[in-house]
Order: sequence, then structure tokens, then C-alpha cells
Amino acid sequence: MKAIKEEHICNDDVYASIFSTYSKTVFNYIYYKFGNEEKAYDVVQEAFIKLWENCSKVAPDKAKSYVYTVANNLYLNVLKAEKVRLKYAPDTNAVVHESPEFILEEQEYKEKLERALAALPENQRTTFLLNRIDGKKYAEIADMEGVSVKAIEKRMHLALKSLRERIEGI
Amino acid sequence: MQENYLAKWLNNELTEEELAKFKESKEYAPYLKLREATDNLEAPDFDMAKAWEDLNKHKIGTKGKVIKLNPYKKYLGIAAAVALLFIASFLYYGSLNEKISTQYAERTEIVLPDASEVQLNADSHISYSKKNWAKKRDIALEGEAYFKVAKGKRFTVTTAHGTVSVLGTQFNVENRKDFFEVACYEGLVSVVYNKKEIKLPAGNSLVVINGQLQALAIPNTKEPSWIRNESSFKSIPLKFVLDEFQRQFNIEVATENIDTDQLFTGSFSNTDKELALQSISTPSQIKFKLEGNKVLFYAETP
Repeated sequence: MKAIKEEHICNDDVYASIFSTYSKTVFNYIYYKFGNEEKAYDVVQEAFIKLWENCSKVAPDKAKSYVYTVANNLYLNVLKAEKVRLKYAPDTNAVVHESPEFILEEQEYKEKLERALAALPENQRTTFLLNRIDGKKYAEIADMEGVSVKAIEKRMHLALKSLRERIEGI
Repeated sequence: MQENYLAKWLNNELTEEELAKFKESKEYAPYLKLREATDNLEAPDFDMAKAWEDLNKHKIGTKGKVIKLNPYKKYLGIAAAVALLFIASFLYYGSLNEKISTQYAERTEIVLPDASEVQLNADSHISYSKKNWAKKRDIALEGEAYFKVAKGKRFTVTTAHGTVSVLGTQFNVENRKDFFEVACYEGLVSVVYNKKEIKLPAGNSLVVINGQLQALAIPNTKEPSWIRNESSFKSIPLKFVLDEFQRQFNIEVATENIDTDQLFTGSFSNTDKELALQSISTPSQIKFKLEGNKVLFYAETP
């Protein structure tokens, strides 16, 4: 006959654990869309403030999708016709023992890749990077974007195709 | 090649046949390079600690500004203290706003806000919050009371000895010095005594005398005997019987040369003093002398 204490987002500990679990992935998600770190950061802040303000109305198991939805709406609200510029932190783990020509070539390839990524349509880029960087499964991305797994596969396919075409200058 | 084969390939979902075919095509090399190059991609650093700090600043940030602009800032502290005192006392009195007591030889019946009934025996005291009753059915008890609980949320009786809680039933709680008894007449009662939970089904009672716990069956009745103006005991030390007599008749009890620890089984009337004295003294083979407001029980001289 013991009362079950309900976990509530308004509880500081619960809120903090939701933040630490999802803030990074929300940041990445929005960053892939915007290609702008500062804006992605601000969106994360706003989304989590919204979550706090509505903590009593959102069930803990809905917190994840709530934050994603709010972040996505915020992104859509502030989306301007700005040129998307993505840059990625260099891969620090790679130890390079290669010839200068090779390194130069690699450098060039990387720049081409970044330009090609920036030129992708937003939905293809987001899908592609969620899979490649965050290791999200197609089904997870489909869930986040609210489309079918098949649609995500299509996006992936098209993303790969147009990346290759752009890099090779076809 | 199947639809969206590039996506399947990236996910290692191609069949061996398809994979072999894809590897033979001239497109394979650039795609493999693309796959390898994007294996090492990283998103920009996200400083989670800083984000958390900023978030907390933002959460309280708006309040800080309001205080800064307020010309009566120095009075705010005092006002806050006064308000706090006011609220604290309001909450304190709010939580204990209903108190009902009975004196010796007095009984009363209380109907709680949810139509639950409480019969309060002599020299007993209950308190509860009328305002919060709908939210929390909590009642503090000193003494003895019989509860008829309306169905609803958990109903809790807190006593110095333990906590009794139920959802809707009829039960009696007696909580005196060194004596704690809970009897369940209907439904199921949960008693927390000494941090242990004991479930008491209808027809059972639990008695704790001087820390000794025992479970007893109760007579097949609908309510405790004192409701019908009779105090009943089953193997209870005589001193508690005499205490009850004192409470029921407001007569001071004294004893001489008798063992008040001897067990008493029987009952006495709560209305007829003479009859009650007989009921106690005869089975215990003791004598009594009644003088005004005092009674002396003494051993029969051999």
C-alpha cells in the first residue's frame, strides 16, 4: 500500500538528467539544419526553457519528442535565407603519416565535401549527418522527422548521390 | 539493384550478390571514399556544462532584473520576511485548523468533510485540516476513536505509537500511554508500528501493551462495544481497565495491595457506575470503596 512517487520533470534531478541525455543530440540536429553553432546553441537553450516552463504538462517519457518538436519549430521560425555554412571539428584522433601530396589531396577533398554538404537540401543533410555523425538508425531519424523509414532511405540515397556528383564535379 | 541501394549499402543491408555487383561498378570507389571520409566527421563541440549554466541563468535571470529596477528594494527584504511569517503561520494553522477534544466522561461524534464519521471516546483528541481534507485525509489522534471511513483516497490516522491507514472501512484506534490497539471491523487496515507494516483484515485486532505486540480476533460485531456504552476487555492488564473506568466516569481511581498487572477479561457499563464497579471487582476478586469522586480498589483481606 505504498504510494508510488511519480517522476516529474519539474523535479530538478529529473530535469537535469533529461538535459544531459538530450541536449547534445538536439544541438547536433539543429546544427545540421542551420549550419550555425550559435543559433543551434540558442535553440537548445530556448527549447529547454520551454520544457521547464511546461514541466508540469509534459510527461517525462514525452520530454524527448517535446524538446525535438520545440527545437524544430524554433528552427523553422528563425530560418532565414542565409547561406548554410557547415564546418566540422577536425578529426583529432587520426594520426597522419602520409606524403604531403596526399595530405593536400585529402585537405582538398575535405573542403569539397564540406561545400557539397552545405549545398544539400536541409532534409537530406540532416538525415545524412544524423546517421553518419550521431549514428542514428534510419528508424530513429524517421521518428524524429516524422516521416517513414523508406523516405529516410530515399534521402540517404539522394544525399550520397548528390555528394558524389558535387565532389567529382559532375 | 534495389531502390535506394546506396542507403542500404551504408547500412550494410545489401545482399552479397548485390554488394559484389556494386563493387564491380566504377561508382563504387568514389562512394567508398565518401563513406570513409564521412566516418570521421564530427559535429562541433557542444559545451554541455556551459549550456546548463546559461540555462539556469536564463531561468532565474528575469527575476533579477525586476528587483534591480524596484526603488523600494530595501523594503523588499522586510516585506518578504513579513509575508513569509504570515504565510508560514497561515499554513501552520491551516494544517491544524480543526481540533476536537473530549474530557473525562464525555463522548462526541464528528462528521468529517467527506462524510466519514468519527466517534471520539472519553479523554481523546483529534486534529485535522478541513481545508486540505479533499487532498489529504490525515487525522492526528490522541486517545481512542472509532472511524467509519467513506470510500475515497487513503485515510491516515497518525498516533504517537504508529500510523493506521485505510482506503474505506470501519476501525477503532486506541492510543493511550503504553497502550495501542487497532481493531478492524470492515475492509482492510494497514498499521505501521515500529517501522513495520501490518495488514489487518476485518475481524482482527492488534494490541501493543508496553511494547509487546499481539494479534487477537475480535468478537463478531459491527462496531466496538464502547459505542454501545460498554467497555470490553480481553486479557488486558487491570491497570488499563481501571484507567478506562477513570476516563468513562471521571472518578479518580486509587488502588491498595492489588496486582494491577493481572489480566482482566470482561466488560463494564459506561453508564451505570455501581454496575461497572461490580463488573470490575467481582471477577478480579477485589473490593472497592466509593467516596464522592474517588474510588479505592483494595484486596480482600484474607
